[in-house]
Amino acid sequence: MSRKSKKSDAATPAGAATGLFLLSSLAVLLACLSILGVRLCNAPALPWEQMIPIGVYLVGVPLILGWLKITGWKGDPGLPGAVFLLCGMGLVVQFRMGSFAQGLARPLALLPFPLGLAAFFVGVTVTGKGRGRWLAGTGWLAYLAAAGVFAVMLLLGRRFRGGIYMPGHMNPSEIIKPLLVIFLAAYLSRRQKDFSETQVGIPVPALDSLLALIFLWALPMMFVFLLKDLGLMMLMNATLIIMLFAVSQGTGYLALGLAAVTAAGFGMRVISSNVRNRFDVWLNPFADPTGKGWQTLQALCAMYSGGAWGAGLGSGVPQAVPIVTSDFIYAAMAEELGLFGCAMLLMVYAVLFSRGFRAAGATRTPFERLLCVGLTGSLAVQTLINVAGVTKALPMTGVTLPFISHGGSSLITSMLIAGLLTGLSDRK
Amino acid sequence: MLETVVEFLNGAQGRDFFRFLKVAFLAFFTVAALAVLFAPRARPGRVSYGLLRVIVTAALAAVLAYQATWQLAGFVKPDFVRFMRRYNKRPRAAETQVMRGPILDRRGLVLAAPVPGDVWGRRYPLGESAVHPVGYFHSRFGITAVERVCDPELSGYPAETKEDFPGKNLFAVRAAEGAAVTLTLDAGLQAKAYELLEGRKGAVVVMKPRSGALLALVSSPGFDPLNPQSAVEDDENSPVFNRAVQGRYPPGSTFKILIAGMALEKGLSPVYACPGMGYIAGPNTPPIRDSEYYAYARNGAVWPGWGRLGLEEALVHSSNVYFAQLGVGCGTPAFNRVMARARINEALVYLEAASGKLKTACGHAPEVARKRKLALLAIGQGEVLVTPLHVACFTAAVAAGGEMARPRLRADEPVEKLGMLFMPGTAKQLGEMLRKAVRSGTGRAANVPGLEVCGKTGTAQAPGGDDHAWFTCFAPQRRPGIVVTVLVERGGFGAKAALPVARALLEEADRLGYVRQTGEELK
Repeated sequence: MSRKSKKSDAATPAGAATGLFLLSSLAVLLACLSILGVRLCNAPALPWEQMIPIGVYLVGVPLILGWLKITGWKGDPGLPGAVFLLCGMGLVVQFRMGSFAQGLARPLALLPFPLGLAAFFVGVTVTGKGRGRWLAGTGWLAYLAAAGVFAVMLLLGRRFRGGIYMPGHMNPSEIIKPLLVIFLAAYLSRRQKDFSETQVGIPVPALDSLLALIFLWALPMMFVFLLKDLGLMMLMNATLIIMLFAVSQGTGYLALGLAAVTAAGFGMRVISSNVRNRFDVWLNPFADPTGKGWQTLQALCAMYSGGAWGAGLGSGVPQAVPIVTSDFIYAAMAEELGLFGCAMLLMVYAVLFSRGFRAAGATRTPFERLLCVGLTGSLAVQTLINVAGVTKALPMTGVTLPFISHGGSSLITSMLIAGLLTGLSDRK
Repeated sequence: MLETVVEFLNGAQGRDFFRFLKVAFLAFFTVAALAVLFAPRARPGRVSYGLLRVIVTAALAAVLAYQATWQLAGFVKPDFVRFMRRYNKRPRAAETQVMRGPILDRRGLVLAAPVPGDVWGRRYPLGESAVHPVGYFHSRFGITAVERVCDPELSGYPAETKEDFPGKNLFAVRAAEGAAVTLTLDAGLQAKAYELLEGRKGAVVVMKPRSGALLALVSSPGFDPLNPQSAVEDDENSPVFNRAVQGRYPPGSTFKILIAGMALEKGLSPVYACPGMGYIAGPNTPPIRDSEYYAYARNGAVWPGWGRLGLEEALVHSSNVYFAQLGVGCGTPAFNRVMARARINEALVYLEAASGKLKTACGHAPEVARKRKLALLAIGQGEVLVTPLHVACFTAAVAAGGEMARPRLRADEPVEKLGMLFMPGTAKQLGEMLRKAVRSGTGRAANVPGLEVCGKTGTAQAPGGDDHAWFTCFAPQRRPGIVVTVLVERGGFGAKAALPVARALLEEADRLGYVRQTGEELK
C-alpha cells in the first residue's frame, strides 16, 4: 500500500520534487553533522539557535512542495529540486561561516531564508497555472517601480565599500532585476516583429522601436552608473541581450551584445577608478599583493588549499578571505568542498538554467516565454560573473552568488525569481 | 554525555570520523545533484533555446576549468607560490613542495633544521640560547630574525630567479630543498654565553674586531623557538626582545673609551685635580662624583679623592670626576665628531639580505651645544643611550687599530669597513691604557694569564632600579682576536656582575682557538 502510494507520488512533478528535496535534505543534514562536529571539538555546546534557519528549511520546503501538490502543479520538478538543493547548501555554508552566530539575539540575520521561502511562494502563486500572462499588463508599473527604487537609493543611500547601500546594509537594487525583466518582457513581446528582422545575419530592428528601447533603457542604466554598481550594469545589459536574442532568435544580438558589454566594461575602466582597480587586480594581482590583490589572492589560496576533495565542511580556514560570506562565498565552498564539490555545485546551477530556458520554450504566450528567458538569464549571468570573479577568470564585479551569498535582499530576490520560474514552468 | 562526544571527536578516531563525514557528504551531495540532473523532464515546447543552454553550460565549465588551474595546478605559478608561502597560513600550503633549508653556524653545526614530513616543523638544537639571532618559523607567530630575512633562500625561492623555482620538482619523489644559510656564530660560544647569563636579563656580544664577524649574539632571557606563545605574553621579562641589538642602555664608564680617544686625538692629556667631593660643571648642576665616594659613605667614611690624575690613571681607575672635566675640556665639536664616527646615532646593519635587513636600534647621543652638558655625557650618563652591539663595535675599532668594521652575522657577506674611529696611534695608546685597567685597575678580575686582556668596566645608573653592569674587552693586546661585550640589566657593579661572564667567555673562546692567533685572522 505504502509502496504504491510512493510510486504514484513520484509520478506527479510535485512528488518528484519532494523526492529530490529528500535527497537534498540528507546532504544538508550530513553537512550539519560535520560542521557541528568541528564546533564541538572547540567548545562542548550545541548551537541550537544558529540552526533555526535550517529547521525552517526542513519544515518549510515540504510545506511549499505540499502546496504545489495540492494545487496540482505540473511543472518541471528539476527547477524546485535544483533551487532547494542550492539554498540548502547556502544555509549550510552560512551556518558554517557563523552568519547566524548571534542566534535569537539578532533575529534579522535569521529572517532572510523564511522570507525567501515566502517570496518563492508568492512567485509560484503569481505565475502558476498560466496566471503569468496577466503580469504582462504590469510592464510599465514595474518600470516605474524600478525607477522609484533607484531614486530612493540615490536619496537615502550611503556609500560603503565603493557601493551605495540603504541603512542596515540592505541592498534594494536587487529587486530591480526582476522588475526590469518584467518590463522588458512586456515591452519586447509586444514588438516581437520589430526586433526580429535581420539583414545578412545582422539584426536590423525597426528604428522607432529601437530608439524607444534605447531611451527607456538609458534611464535605469544612468541610475546604475550613478550608483557605481558595475556588477548590476553588466548583469542587466547581459540580460537585455539574452532577451533580445530570445525575441528575435538571431544570434547576431549575442555577438553584438558580447562586444558591447566588453566595450562598456573597458569604457567604465577609463571613467571610474574603482573599476580600474578591479581591472588591475584582474590583470596582475601580484602587482599589489597585500593591498588591492589581497582578497582575490586569498580566495585563490583558499581554493589551492582545498585541492580536489576539499578540507571537509568546517575544517578549512576560509575566514582568511576578507568578507568571505557575501561575494566570495564561492571561495569558502571551494576550500571546504574541493574542486569536486564545486563541479557538483556548478552542475546544479547548469541544470537550473538549462531547465529554466527549456521551460521558457514550453510556455504559451510570448510574454511568459520572454519573462522566463529573462529571469533565467539574469540568474545565469549573475552566477557566472560571481564565480568568474572569485576565480579571477573575469574582473570582480561585486555581485552575489544566487541562493548562497549572505545578504537578505539577494536571497529573497533569487527565491522570488525561482518561484516565478517554477510557476512559469507549470503547464496548464 | 557531550563531554564523551567531544573526547571522541578530539581523539585519533575523531579524525577518521571527520574523513568519513567528508566522503559521505560529498557522496550524498553528488547523489542529490545527479538526481536533479536526471529528474523527469517536462515535454519540450516549440523552442528549447539550445544555444543559450549550451553557452551557459559551456561558460560554467570554462570557469571551472580555469578554477582548476589555480586549485589543482597553482604550484606552477611562481608568483602565486611565493604569495602563498608568505601569506597562506593553511597547513596544506605550498610549503609541502619545499624542504626548508637549514641554518648553520661557522663550523657547520646546525642552528635550525627542517623536520621531514612536517611542514612547519623546525629543529633548533640550541633552543632558547640562539633564538634571538636565528629567529623562529612558526605557523601562528610567523617568521622572525634570520629565518625571516633569509626566507627566500631558505625556502628555495631566491627573489631574483623567477624561472628556476622548486615547484618544478613537484613530481620528483623527494621534496625540493631550500638553500642552507651559514652564519658567523659559533654554536659553542653562543650556548656558553647564554648559560653564563644564568637567566638574568642581559646581553652578550662576541665578535672579531677586524672582520666584524659575530661569534655570539646573545640576549637573555631566551625562549623556546618552537613555542613562542608564553614569551610573547610575558610583558614583565619581555624575552622576545633582543637586548643585544634592540635594547638601549646608558653606556656608563664604557663610554670613557671614546672620551679618552677623543682627548688623545686632540692631543690633550691633561692632569686634573679630582677632589673627593666631586666636580660641579656649572650653577644648579649636581656634583659628579667617583663611585668610591658612595662606597666610603656607606661605611661612614669620607672619600679623599684621587688627587691629581693623568688620563691613563683616570681611565685605569675609571674616575668620573676626571672624565667629566675632560669632556668639558675637549669641547662640543670634538664630542659630536666622535659620536658621529662611532655611529652612535645610527642603526648598525648586521645582516643584509635581498628580502630585508637586520639592524640594531639607533643609539642616542644628543647634539650638544653647551659645554656644561658634556660633563654628564662624558661619563656615559645623561641622555646618551647605546645598544650592546654599539659598545662592542667601538671596542672592536680600538682593537683593530682604530678602524671600525660593520658587524656581520652571515658568513658569506664580505667584510665592510665603516671608516676610522681613531688614528692607529690613538688606538694603540688606548689599548695600552685598557690593558693597564685590567692589569691593575677596575677590571683586575678579568686578567686571564697569558691572554693580555684589555677592558673597561661600566656601572651605568638608570632611573627606576639598580645600575646596569657593563664589561667590554678585547684580547690579546697585540694582534687582538676577539671582542667580548657583556651587559647585565640591573646587575649592579660592572666588575661584579658582567666581568665574570666575559672572563669565562674569554677562556672558552681561547679554548676554541679564537683568541691567540696563529696565522692571519680568519673571517
